[in-house]
Amino acid sequence: MDDADVSKQIHQMVQFILQEAEEKANEISISAEEEFNIEKLQLVEAEKRKIRQEYERKEKQVEIRKKIEYSMQLNASRIKVLQAQDDLVSSMKESAAKELLHVSHHHHILNITHHHRAYKHLLEELIVQSLLRLKEPAVLLRCREEDVHVVESVLESAQEEYAAKENVHPPNVVVDTEVYLPPAPSDEHPDHGRYCSGGVVLASIDGKIVCENTLDARLDVAFRKNLPEIRKSLYGQVAA
Amino acid sequence: MDTRQSGIQQLLAAEQEAQRIVNEARNAKMARLKQAKEEAEKEVAAYRAQMEAEFQRKLAQSSGDSGANVKRLEQETEEKIEHLKSQAENISHDVVQMLLKHVTTVKN
Repeated sequence: MDDADVSKQIHQMVQFILQEAEEKANEISISAEEEFNIEKLQLVEAEKRKIRQEYERKEKQVEIRKKIEYSMQLNASRIKVLQAQDDLVSSMKESAAKELLHVSHHHHILNITHHHRAYKHLLEELIVQSLLRLKEPAVLLRCREEDVHVVESVLESAQEEYAAKENVHPPNVVVDTEVYLPPAPSDEHPDHGRYCSGGVVLASIDGKIVCENTLDARLDVAFRKNLPEIRKSLYGQVAA
Repeated sequence: MDTRQSGIQQLLAAEQEAQRIVNEARNAKMARLKQAKEEAEKEVAAYRAQMEAEFQRKLAQSSGDSGANVKRLEQETEEKIEHLKSQAENISHDVVQMLLKHVTTVKN
């Protein structure tokens, strides 16, 4: 071989080496691009999924909180309505209590106390009723100081009515003249403290059994007993 | 000049060059792969921002709805109470009379 051929061969070999290197570099470059895309896609998708879940959770929490808030407001408004119902019913009882004072109202004219005949009769019936409830041979009676005269005026008749009904001897009734039921409210005694609208309280002599037959106690009983009916007439028209 | 020597040198130089070319490609590949992480982070950040914006939008809308609901509820409650009050006025007299009757009527 002469120099020219050797030189040519060398040149070819050099070209070959370089070409191979270029091809290899190209492969590397292509695979780099592919791997880049795959890697990037995987990373992005994994993170996106996490983010989606995170926001789903957040939205759910917001939903729940909204529901709770609404439910709380609904409750609050229900309570408001129930409270209003209760207040209205109570104020009816108060109106009745005010009216009750007229039942036993004594007119004071020229220092003589005039009573309603009806109240006198009512007191008598209340005494009889209390005696029937106690069924005791000896009882203590308490009334308001302003009612003492009326009570004493009907006491004997009441005792006899009871005796006749029960077929027993007329009971011994002691009117308590030391302790009285509180008086009706008036200008001198406004009704901030305790007061009594009328009626009587009877007790067995040993004080163990008590029958509260004051007008106030009777109003409480009547009110409680008729509360369902009162509520029905009040709520009845309200759309639920 | 010894041709053989120069030929061998040329071949060696070519090998070196070949190696350099391949290494350069490998380095480029590593750099590209690192880019994958950076670009992924960029895309993810953009996605998160988008999700957040959507979330805030929904939040604002729903709180607007809630406000309207609360108002409606309050109004309904007031109406119910007004109705009760007027109903109470209607029946109050009868109720009071009924209660008084129970108090003042004694059945012995």
